[in-house]
Amino acid sequence: MSLREFQTALGRMVRNTDGSGPLDSLLLDANEWECLHALQPSAALQFTRAVQRSWCEQRAANAAALTLSILTDATRRRILEEWINLGGGTLSFFGAEADALLDFIAGQLPDPSTELNICRLEQATLRASIHTTCFQPLDPALFDPQKALRRGRHAGLVTALLIAPGLDLLHRVAAPLEQLLWERLSVPATAAVLLQEGYPRDLIATLLQIGALEQA
Amino acid sequence: MINVAALGVGFPYIASMPADFYQSGVIDFVEITPETLCFQRGNSLAPVPQQVAKARAATRGLPMVVHGVELSIGSAHGCNTGYLEMLDLFQASWPFVWHSEHLGFQTIAADDGATLEVGVPLPLPATHEAVELVAERAAAIGKRYGVPFLLENPAYYIPSEALPHDPQIVDDIGLMNRIMTRSGCYQLLDLHNIYCNALNHHLDPFALIDRVDLDRVIEIHVAGGSWRDGFWMDGHNGRVPPPVWRLLEYTLIRAPNAAGVVFEVLDPFAPRLGREAITEDLRRARAIWDRCHPVTRHVAA
Repeated sequence: MSLREFQTALGRMVRNTDGSGPLDSLLLDANEWECLHALQPSAALQFTRAVQRSWCEQRAANAAALTLSILTDATRRRILEEWINLGGGTLSFFGAEADALLDFIAGQLPDPSTELNICRLEQATLRASIHTTCFQPLDPALFDPQKALRRGRHAGLVTALLIAPGLDLLHRVAAPLEQLLWERLSVPATAAVLLQEGYPRDLIATLLQIGALEQA
Repeated sequence: MINVAALGVGFPYIASMPADFYQSGVIDFVEITPETLCFQRGNSLAPVPQQVAKARAATRGLPMVVHGVELSIGSAHGCNTGYLEMLDLFQASWPFVWHSEHLGFQTIAADDGATLEVGVPLPLPATHEAVELVAERAAAIGKRYGVPFLLENPAYYIPSEALPHDPQIVDDIGLMNRIMTRSGCYQLLDLHNIYCNALNHHLDPFALIDRVDLDRVIEIHVAGGSWRDGFWMDGHNGRVPPPVWRLLEYTLIRAPNAAGVVFEVLDPFAPRLGREAITEDLRRARAIWDRCHPVTRHVAA
């Protein structure tokens, strides 16, 4: 048995989330299969799996701490269990999967609901904070009124709170017209069209500068 | 000849610790896990400048060593090159005295060839193939950064004899010794991991230490753990147990090139342990260091 096949077998046995048998499709001779098969029910492997699961649960809990904190114990446990069963929580640093986990949670919450608003708020904050490391405001010289504008992928507007990578502390209360424009851009539109619809040029420019809007 | 000046007693950088903790005089150097100061996008890791700046400000004036967790140096399908690219950037902005990683693997190849995270580090089998794979990578990493590269002995719950092993190598200690010899890298000897393995597999921890190539030990870890389901867990969630202090005394006398002892505590447990208890254990580590070890050491390359 090669090192690669041994690792695949042991890794699958510990993850225990794959549908097929952990030893399926591996090139094992009878002795190797016997050795690994014997390991499966052992207390040592069961404990290793328990450690893996608890680490995954803790990572997932950290990844969506705010949203999970406002759910009932039963809902929180159910969501985390389903997420771990899907293979979630394995990344050492949870930022990379936090966005996907928050999407997963959002899909299980009533719409509309306070819980969903908070989930979207946490997700928008996460996206904006990650993007602060590489955010560059749009150069005004590159503004093209004929290009479609859309909501910033790293921005959000949740219950009148505007969250964007170019804002100090990432957030501020959105003005009524900003809320209207955000709703309007659920479908991208060119700046030229928005100007015709009466949205002020300054408003569009400001939102572009903070990353709340972007050119598609 | 690589000269590694003895640093003394260290502690991990934990962002939630009070700002003055690292300047209180109980810590001689700081151990940084750079991934905790990064954001991850796809397979790439990039340091977040604000977080790096905050860590540097809190630990100003202290020598720094790196203790990585994301490399997965033993993965047969390939180690995490994104980690190394991140470490290139990190070293350029904040040079480290040495750096270390864990001997084990935490990723496997999925059916489609993509990398699949296991979610927990797993032990390598004590085989020649594992020696060759890790030694080659460790040697290359040693050259890449120009400072000593250390591998940490793991805690494991699946006993070595239940894994494939070549009779000449036997177990994890034989594996580590061979990798050191073949690669020229050094060891981070985690005494709490030795203690865990001894408890869980009914071994004599002093006999285990006697088999370690102590000349190649540059850093030592001590930590706490807890019982769960009949196993002693390497949780880094408590104070150092008395037997681990005895192992530290035993080892320091015998490890002529040891340059630092780190008391490992995981971020979430630091507030629960409290500053006072952490300080007490750091002072105890220093007392043992002062009693058992001279100030400066030289390591043969």
